[in-house]
Amino acid sequence: MASYPRDFRFGGFVVSLIWLIFWILIIVALVGLPLIFIILFYVPLPEVDGEVLTPYLFLTSILYPQSAIPVIETLLDTTFFKVAVFPGFTYAALIAAATIFIERKFLAKMQLRVGPLYAGKIEGILQLLADGLKLISKEIIIPSGSDKLIFWSAPIAFVATAAAVVALIPAAPGWVVADIDVGLLAVFAILGFFPLIALLFSWASNSKYPFIGGLRALHQLIAFEIPFILSALSVVILSGTLNLTEVVESQIQSYWFIFFLPISAFVFYISSLAELERIPFDLPEAEAEIVAGWLTETSGMIYGLLQLGSYIKTYALAALFVILFLGGWAGPQIFPAEIIPESAEAIIPVSELYEQTDANAAFWFTLKTFGVIMLMLLPRGISPRIRIDILLHTGWYKLIVLAFINMFVALALIYGGVLGPGGLLVR
Amino acid sequence: MTSIEEKFEESKRLGLQIVKESEEDRLMTLSVGPQHPGSGHFRFVIKVDGDYIVYCDPDPGYVHRGEEKMCEYRNVIQNIPHLERPVIHDSANITYSYSLAVEELVGIEVPRRGQFIRAIASELNRQVYTLYWLAIYGIFLGHSTMFMWPTGDREVIIDLLEALTGARVTHAFNIPGGVRNDMPEGFRDRCLSQIRYLQKRFKEYEDIFYNNPLFRQRTEGVAVLSKEDAIKLGVTGSVVRASSVPFDVRKAEPYDIYNEIDFKVQYMKTGDCFARSYVPLLDMQESCYIIEQLLDKMPASGEVRAKLQPNPKGPPGESYRRVESGRGALGYYIVSDGTPKPYRVKISVGSFRNMLALPYLLVGKRLADMPAVYWSLNYWPVEADR
Amino acid sequence: MTSAGGFIKSIESGSKHLVIKRFTLRYPEKKLKFVGDGYQFDPKRGVGIAGYRGRHILMHDKCTGCQLCAIACEGIAEAIGMVKVDEQWKHNKKGIMPQIDYGKCVFCGLCVDACPFYALFMTNDYELSAFTKEHLIYTPAQLAIKPKYQGDVEIVIDDRGATHG
Repeated sequence: MASYPRDFRFGGFVVSLIWLIFWILIIVALVGLPLIFIILFYVPLPEVDGEVLTPYLFLTSILYPQSAIPVIETLLDTTFFKVAVFPGFTYAALIAAATIFIERKFLAKMQLRVGPLYAGKIEGILQLLADGLKLISKEIIIPSGSDKLIFWSAPIAFVATAAAVVALIPAAPGWVVADIDVGLLAVFAILGFFPLIALLFSWASNSKYPFIGGLRALHQLIAFEIPFILSALSVVILSGTLNLTEVVESQIQSYWFIFFLPISAFVFYISSLAELERIPFDLPEAEAEIVAGWLTETSGMIYGLLQLGSYIKTYALAALFVILFLGGWAGPQIFPAEIIPESAEAIIPVSELYEQTDANAAFWFTLKTFGVIMLMLLPRGISPRIRIDILLHTGWYKLIVLAFINMFVALALIYGGVLGPGGLLVR
Repeated sequence: MTSIEEKFEESKRLGLQIVKESEEDRLMTLSVGPQHPGSGHFRFVIKVDGDYIVYCDPDPGYVHRGEEKMCEYRNVIQNIPHLERPVIHDSANITYSYSLAVEELVGIEVPRRGQFIRAIASELNRQVYTLYWLAIYGIFLGHSTMFMWPTGDREVIIDLLEALTGARVTHAFNIPGGVRNDMPEGFRDRCLSQIRYLQKRFKEYEDIFYNNPLFRQRTEGVAVLSKEDAIKLGVTGSVVRASSVPFDVRKAEPYDIYNEIDFKVQYMKTGDCFARSYVPLLDMQESCYIIEQLLDKMPASGEVRAKLQPNPKGPPGESYRRVESGRGALGYYIVSDGTPKPYRVKISVGSFRNMLALPYLLVGKRLADMPAVYWSLNYWPVEADR
Repeated sequence: MTSAGGFIKSIESGSKHLVIKRFTLRYPEKKLKFVGDGYQFDPKRGVGIAGYRGRHILMHDKCTGCQLCAIACEGIAEAIGMVKVDEQWKHNKKGIMPQIDYGKCVFCGLCVDACPFYALFMTNDYELSAFTKEHLIYTPAQLAIKPKYQGDVEIVIDDRGATHG
């Protein structure tokens, strides 16, 4: 309450409106219109009913909506849709945003309080938007002795690496951005890049507390990669393939792998908590000891990017858990064959866009991912932070031993004939 | 300011040969300063070799406001509002000791019901302070739920104190001569029901915090303060009771009506961080029993405040009285020269004496133990600076 | 495996709280109730009457302008100053009454203790925020207004826990 509220002058309001309209006109005329014309004239547009789609034909779809359906169908098949909307960036960002909000409300309920309350009419729904706008409007402070190139590029690399992991995760049969035969190995290779980013960023910050935090991040992330990989390898032994889509296919034909490999699922869960730097493993970011760890010197949008990357990584690792252990998108078919009754279909034939198996798969995948994310949020309300020597002891001794035990269990199941050729699974 | 060489000699004597003198450039100096989420209004400089702390130098004084000097310009009644500001949660205890010392100087007799109400306010304040301390202990170790639950439960007791005294914290309730007002109606039943609620919550704290294996791993066996060292360093309060010295001012030098109340002095024998964090919980349990006894034995009616002259003054002399506050023995030494304003007031707080154990305990520990050890010494920075 | 038992107990304790009602008071839609009308002092008996220490209320028909409240506050917060008022009272020959600066007041209530004429009490009103420092200085006329404070919730303790209801 330190500033005076300024008096409202109508003339000032009108002047600001005129300036706004002026700038909108300038930008639309000089930038927007050329951009639209470049896209419509130079980008190869899909063929519709034997004619090339011209911008004029495009505009007629406003009057006749049913002529737009084939265009949308072709758009849904393009790679751009998979990268940008589903299961790519928009989907992951929406899940990350929902995760942040649900985490705050869930923790608040466990702690007998209300979480965000005032932003938005209903119990703080718009809190995330408010936080995002706040972070964008803040000044980014660069420490004077820091390495400017790495300081600016490390958060972007963080988000890019997290997005690269998301690109390998299939959300429904046929819906994956990059369908690689060695998908699981690619995931591990990309995950191995994170300790490097943390260390580079902490060194570039040129300050003592980030330095300690970066070293702790390095130790922790490297130590927990090995049980992570080993526990996923037991799944590979059972399903016989590294391709993530085929791992889910082999689970649909038999039972989910978590029944055969419970210890492996547990090791994977603990290792992913450590890879995500979540409580109880948030030593690199320990508040009471090293201010904010390797995030100390971040401010404004750099901090926002790092948080976004962290939550996208949460979605990616939770989705990986669902794919490897919980059967991916397997679930009973609850979507009907058509969503709009026959009579309304004559006007807008939407049913060509909608495939019931795909919608069902996406629904179950999202539900299970949210379940695993809630399980990852639970330790935040229950445990304190762990210490570095106990952490490294757990990661290098106990978890590797447990992962090896489970690998032997998987091998025994295969060679004992329970699974594999002649058994339950068809490889 | 001891040099690094003297600290090496010290650590050698303690049997911790951490770093040789020729390798001094391996050390990194960290200022856990006032702008740190893990330190409060307090700064200490530590030198770290890798992950081990080699040297610690506390630097208090960031909140020094000259409380003792301010006392010399106000008469004994006007001193109360500013004297309770060093510990805002525990204000009934810090003014209790002052009132006892002034009553001894001026020669006032406090009526019996007033003594009982003073003791009730003191016990309630002890619970409020200990819950807040426990909340901050949780957040220092990264346990956010343990921060929210005691802070929420504290609201129940603060509501009770608000009904009794009129203000949530810094009550200005104890004055030389008794208390300022009598209990409101319905206070007794409300107090008993809220005490029962608090006793139920202690079990939840034990489940989620004290019996949590992660918390135990971090605090059991860490920074052990042996009985001889505790007595030699002069620590007080829950810190000394956790090192198997059953010393409590309420039992050793009973004041007011504490010699009529029957309670045990809780202590633990291990002397590590876990014991220092568990003894305040046991103290809170004892407080609940004490409040029940006080409410039972209280006279049903009577005066609560002795009538005083407008500017009370006594013959020239000096007096020293101390009470058991949330942090330890809190004493006042007042010298009067026959005028209404005291000549010299010296406050001796438990926090400052507990701080002396900090450089001794932190040498040789990991950096991650630093918040656990520092806050387990029951240190309140504002009170230590007065 | 006592550590496993400890973990399970803590998970159980944490999850139990998901079904307990929240404790938060949803201010400003709901406000706390107070018992009584505010802190008052009885100079004949020499003891106060329990109540909440909020904004002061000045009874113009009792205040004699004796300045004892200002003298008491001088050593504490120097928040009370005496100003001339336009009203003509028989018992207030000098025509001065206290004005309180809530930017400095610490709400200790020792001024209420000092008044021997039953003229200065404290009320339940604590919502005193203002946009400028000058708005925080309450003149004797402003201090005479009785506050309208509606409180409707209090802490309710039942078997499942405590809540504001």
